[in-house]
Amino acid sequence: MDFYFGLAQIIGVHTLLGLSAYIVLLTGQVSLAQAGFFAIGAYAAGMLTVLAGWHIVPALGAGMVIGSATACAVGFPALRVKGLMLVIATLAFGEGIRLFFFNFDYQVAKGGVQLGPLGGEGFRQIRFFPENGWSTLEVMLFIWIFVVLVMLLLWWFDRSRYGAVLRAVGEDELAAQSVGINLTAVKVSAMTVGGAIAGLGGGLYAHYTTHIEHASFNILVATFAIAYPIVGGLASVLGTLFAVIFVQGVLIEGLRFLGDWRNLLFGALIVLAMNLRPRGILDAQAIVWFKRLFGGGKRNA
Amino acid sequence: MKKLAFAVAAAFAAGTMLASGGALAQEKTIKIAGFGAKSGVVRSFGINSEAALLAAADVINKGGGVKLGDGSKAKFAVEFYDDRCNAEEGISVIRRIAGTDAVVAIGPTCSNVAEPLFGILQKKVGDASDSGLQFPVFTDVAIKVGLAKISEWAFRNVPNEMTMYNSLFYWLKTKHPDVKTIYGGVEEDFAHSRATWYVVMKTRSEASGFSVQGESKWLLNDTNFATQVREMKKANADVIAISAHPFSTCGVLKEMQRQGVKPKVLVGLTSSSSLETLQGCAKQAEGIIIPTSFAPINKEAKNAADTTAKFKGAADLHSMAAWENMFILKQVIEAAKISGKPADVQADRRKIRDSLAKLKTTDGLLGVTKRDAEGEADKPYLFVHAKKGEWKVLHNPL
Amino acid sequence: MLDFLQAVSDGVLFGATYALIGIGFTLVFGVMHKINMSYAAASVGGAYCGLLILHVFAGAPPWAVFLLAFAAGGVIGWLVYLTCFHFIPLANPLATLMSTVGMLLLIDEIVVHTTAGMPQNYPALFDDVMLRFGDFSMRGDLMLVFGVSVLGMIALLLLLYRTGLGLATRAVSQQPVAAQLCGIQLARVNALTFVITGLLGGLAGAMIGASVGALSPLLTTPLTVKGLIVTVVGGLGSIPGAIVAGLLVGGFENVFQLYRGVTERDLYVMLLLFVFLVFRPGGLFAVKGAGR
Repeated sequence: MDFYFGLAQIIGVHTLLGLSAYIVLLTGQVSLAQAGFFAIGAYAAGMLTVLAGWHIVPALGAGMVIGSATACAVGFPALRVKGLMLVIATLAFGEGIRLFFFNFDYQVAKGGVQLGPLGGEGFRQIRFFPENGWSTLEVMLFIWIFVVLVMLLLWWFDRSRYGAVLRAVGEDELAAQSVGINLTAVKVSAMTVGGAIAGLGGGLYAHYTTHIEHASFNILVATFAIAYPIVGGLASVLGTLFAVIFVQGVLIEGLRFLGDWRNLLFGALIVLAMNLRPRGILDAQAIVWFKRLFGGGKRNA
Repeated sequence: MKKLAFAVAAAFAAGTMLASGGALAQEKTIKIAGFGAKSGVVRSFGINSEAALLAAADVINKGGGVKLGDGSKAKFAVEFYDDRCNAEEGISVIRRIAGTDAVVAIGPTCSNVAEPLFGILQKKVGDASDSGLQFPVFTDVAIKVGLAKISEWAFRNVPNEMTMYNSLFYWLKTKHPDVKTIYGGVEEDFAHSRATWYVVMKTRSEASGFSVQGESKWLLNDTNFATQVREMKKANADVIAISAHPFSTCGVLKEMQRQGVKPKVLVGLTSSSSLETLQGCAKQAEGIIIPTSFAPINKEAKNAADTTAKFKGAADLHSMAAWENMFILKQVIEAAKISGKPADVQADRRKIRDSLAKLKTTDGLLGVTKRDAEGEADKPYLFVHAKKGEWKVLHNPL
Repeated sequence: MLDFLQAVSDGVLFGATYALIGIGFTLVFGVMHKINMSYAAASVGGAYCGLLILHVFAGAPPWAVFLLAFAAGGVIGWLVYLTCFHFIPLANPLATLMSTVGMLLLIDEIVVHTTAGMPQNYPALFDDVMLRFGDFSMRGDLMLVFGVSVLGMIALLLLLYRTGLGLATRAVSQQPVAAQLCGIQLARVNALTFVITGLLGGLAGAMIGASVGALSPLLTTPLTVKGLIVTVVGGLGSIPGAIVAGLLVGGFENVFQLYRGVTERDLYVMLLLFVFLVFRPGGLFAVKGAGR
């Protein structure tokens, strides 16, 4: 059972990573910097629990705050670039954060042992969970409380004016501007929220792997962050969740029996998915179909 | 039609249950899990480890298998899992293994998987407040210094670079008394190679009387080494020690050839004493000296290499550690007198851990290996050098 | 001072390899207004294919390997077009982006599987040629690579501006609908664009393999990142821009390394990119109409 709880933990944290890119994607910005905010959350939360002895909840909160502050700062210059250039600019920024941590040393002696991030060697012994006796099940539930809260928040955004505004900006900036939407406010706010979610996910990541290093937040992670919402579909938060379950649950763990073929199938299936369902696996049509399946028969007058 | 289908299905299910039950009654198996990287640039490590594990299991099983606590014999069954050199996946794999009736795991390949993985294990045995995983892991490949002390459930059978390089530099000084200065080349962004230069090579060469002139740095996937090699040229040291993995080592060596940098002695990183370096730059690597914990110099070692080759793997210091681990585990399991029944699997794991922890020495392919209280090994070693596209033994201190 | 000049020279010469990769990235963007994230991987893949000839004729000369890499690159380029751009409606830039990412992962895995991830020795031309002026030296083989980039650029520009295909390609990039109305077959032109960039990519991969001396799956990520940076700095869609930017990035990179060390080097390269994005978002040679 522990294995399934562990897998659920991974799915939860990756969903947070995906959702942080999702909200930014809604506004039409492809951000490859989410892995950077993820890293900030990881190091910040890790340092607070290990070096300052904080409890994990405020540590995660601090990670969120720092993550969102950095994202906000990135959001403004990001306004100046569009399309491909934004992709590259955010990729460069994410890499910049990773390189910062590659060079970051902050060690404190605790009980005769040096603890803390040590540049290229990473940051080990982030053992808040096992040291405080949390079982795999408890950690999983803890992670999922946050995931569910974030999903509810984003779902609520979608049903409110804010969500409509986000999508409007994503669909057609000029049209959105002409109805009086403040593009700057919308795009920067989406970035900030994305940064907060990524910071939260990163903090959780640091604690369930117990060891982080700069290479844990590389371009591959940044690519996965945008892959989940794009492959899953931008019509709803469920798309991202579905894509994470598909990738982590089915492709990575479920296909183990295929041995070596598993890795080859990975790329091939993504290509196939994008060809068959360019708007994502759970696109708007699929959502409508699901709704009809479960709520069929009800018609509003 | 439905009833017929149901009847057939039921008969099939009953048949398979009976068949497996019958099999259980005849042959007991002890499951050992292997795990490592079968993806990316380290794929060859996973392939070789798996082959070595399967080969060793085959030899042990053909010899009758392993004796259980009740006197009966059981066969080893090995299953290998690919962790893709990814920390999260490694943790997921060990949890998966812990959920089966495997009693011990051999792995991982990558140090960046080992560190997080050891971190999720219970730190101190018997500490009820620590909810870490209680599963013994016996590492074959991940070599970054000082990892086994992270948890009392983690043990390693990897060479001790401190001892080996200490001996190497001492031997070099006695063999080449005119050689006085040393300059290093470091792969900065890979924990193992970085630690090996600063913590091991630099200190040990100084201890043997060499004067360290400095070091040049690069990254794991760098391609342009012009600046670094110029620094080497300027330093004009007698010895150049390269603490890097095959790809960048080859890049540096080719640049050294281009710029005409020819030190009197060339020293390399332990894990680069494999086929990879020769595949990438055999000509430029000619003469590089590397301390290693494996070479087919005796009958046992040759036999291990040949048997592993039958399972389509190459024998090098990494995969042969996996081979050794299997035989050590046979010894450990017999000493621990485990029950081998799925119901007692957690108790068996604890017994195996305790038995591993008690070991002061183990038998290796090159000789007796010492073990310390932290769970690390001090393996017998020798020095190899690259000659005409092959690794040949240069000096055998054994 | 000599150190600085030497570092600049070393860097600029190596930047020729970035220039080659940048040309392919920028051409695809210029024509289709889409990023092909798999381009560097496809180029390295083409280079690996070039090595196959050594399995058949063990003593084959380097140019045979390069030629096979060139051809293989074209084939892979066509396959990438087919799997990522042909069937996906052009109005879905995210889908094509993700699809090319999938191809990148697939090509990487195929390379890893066939070579077990081990570095493969690559034949080189003029590998031992070093032009020396006292203490100052320059790599002869990189000058060859630079020469190849310039030739490639000239060939491409001739193709784009002096042939019917080039005219059709430019028409499609500016006004796809109007081009179709004039009878230009969109699919065929796009496919050919990919084949041509693929050919160039295969050659680029071979040149990079020759300059580095070995091929490894480790090459893919840094080449992708550098290629993208070079594309942006040079100006999206500008071929001469890609060359100048490649040399520039190579030079700056090495200078940063000289003064700040290898661990901070890439940080400064990223900062350089930001400076460009803030002060000159169109790149060095801003192309009108591109950058949408």
